[in-house]
Amino acid sequence: MNAHPTGEEDFDLYALGALDGDEKLAFESHLAECRQCARKLAEARGRIAMLSLAAPRVEPSPAVKQRLMAQVRTESITRSVRNIADNARRNAISDALQKANGSFEDAAAMLGIDHEALLDLAQKYDLHPASTGPHKNPRANPFPGFLGRWRAAVLVPAFAALAIATAILWQQNRNLDRQLAALRATAAQQQQQLDDARHVADLIGSSDTVTVALAQQPGQPQGSAHVMYNTKMGMLMYDGEIAPAPAAKSYELWVIPTDGKPINAGVFNPVTGRADHWMMKMPPGVEPRMFAVTLEPQGGMPQPTGPMVLIGHA
Amino acid sequence: MSSESGTELRASDAALIERIVQRDQAALAALYDRYAGMLSSVLNRILRDTQAAEEILQDIFFQLWRNPSPFDPARGSLPGWLMVIARNRAISRLRRHNPAAGDELSEAAAVSTINIETAVAQQQLIGRVKGALENLPAEQRAAIELAYFEGMSHSEIAQRTGDPLGTVKTRLRSAVESLKRTLHAQAASTS
Repeated sequence: MNAHPTGEEDFDLYALGALDGDEKLAFESHLAECRQCARKLAEARGRIAMLSLAAPRVEPSPAVKQRLMAQVRTESITRSVRNIADNARRNAISDALQKANGSFEDAAAMLGIDHEALLDLAQKYDLHPASTGPHKNPRANPFPGFLGRWRAAVLVPAFAALAIATAILWQQNRNLDRQLAALRATAAQQQQQLDDARHVADLIGSSDTVTVALAQQPGQPQGSAHVMYNTKMGMLMYDGEIAPAPAAKSYELWVIPTDGKPINAGVFNPVTGRADHWMMKMPPGVEPRMFAVTLEPQGGMPQPTGPMVLIGHA
Repeated sequence: MSSESGTELRASDAALIERIVQRDQAALAALYDRYAGMLSSVLNRILRDTQAAEEILQDIFFQLWRNPSPFDPARGSLPGWLMVIARNRAISRLRRHNPAAGDELSEAAAVSTINIETAVAQQQLIGRVKGALENLPAEQRAAIELAYFEGMSHSEIAQRTGDPLGTVKTRLRSAVESLKRTLHAQAASTS
């Protein structure tokens, strides 16, 4: 290892970017191996950075903050949409594994994907046969004891054998019907989630959509949210994070129109550390004046009665 | 856009960063209100291009939103860290060197103990730094400004000014010594 820099100012000169050539190479070579000097350099960087304050004051235009916050909102919504898609995929895999009694081969066939791909996805979503129901082999004989006896009773009349085979086929047919119905329900659920994601995309993409930031009110639980609404599309989307409600309480979102009483737009009680987001249809002809989240008795109230936790003006 | 509300004004940088980790957009807006002017000033001083300065300013705060984890409050103050990032980004742009997006946040190992969470504290420190620079001999001040705001090395400054390389080195060394001494003495007298 090279020797430590001889002067304390060497750290400031390096932080300043003044060193070059052999001096710079020697400094960097030493720095790569010396934690003590890396720490001194970090301190010098902090010290030298203060020179920034000597620059003549230039305030950024207000448009920069507007662009930044729009970028942040878009990123948050994109993240939400991604979560919706992720949840849909996870649910589909979980359902398929349950229907296949934990058999990855059968679940992969149901989903129409490669077995290895399903294993990767199950690992990604932390899905195991144990968490999706009892692990059974769907190819196993459903009536082992009975068939065991059948094998022993070789002299039973052929008619009885035919009756048993018919019963088994009937049972298998019923199972297939149930599986088909369940798969149809899953497909409908996934279609609904896909429709929701499309509605979110339409809402975000429309130039008529208005975004309202809901700010935390003094003394109320910590949180923030925003509402995107589009009166032409008749759609409203809430996206926010707020501390869980106290016992026996729920949060309630209200659309406060320019004319008329507040309209309930959803009752919720978030789980710690998770964002809430949902879409709903706006009643026709409603022009929002503001949005508010209040704390209400569990299950919500027809009209607001509790304190306002978040408020945003349209 | 509105400036910081009363609640945000009282929140410390560390508390606001913690809220950004929890995806609180109001916390990011509050930090922007607190430090955008300071960063915009240095970006404009280095780049002399308002559009480029605003692009970098927006990008720094957006990266802070997407991934605030590179900043560790235990290792120093946020403004010092942001200033190092802003200067690095601006000098890179000036030299047409484009590091991979996001690199700057993780590479900016800087430790700073300055606390300028209020506008008053910020103004006081600006006064101290400007005063310390003005107290330097003119040639030392010019050399340090070329290094800091133009990103020039010893050799580049010598080439620009026509002064011998050894003279430039001596000036810069003397300048950083004086600055450190002056700022340290001022900090001690005001603490």
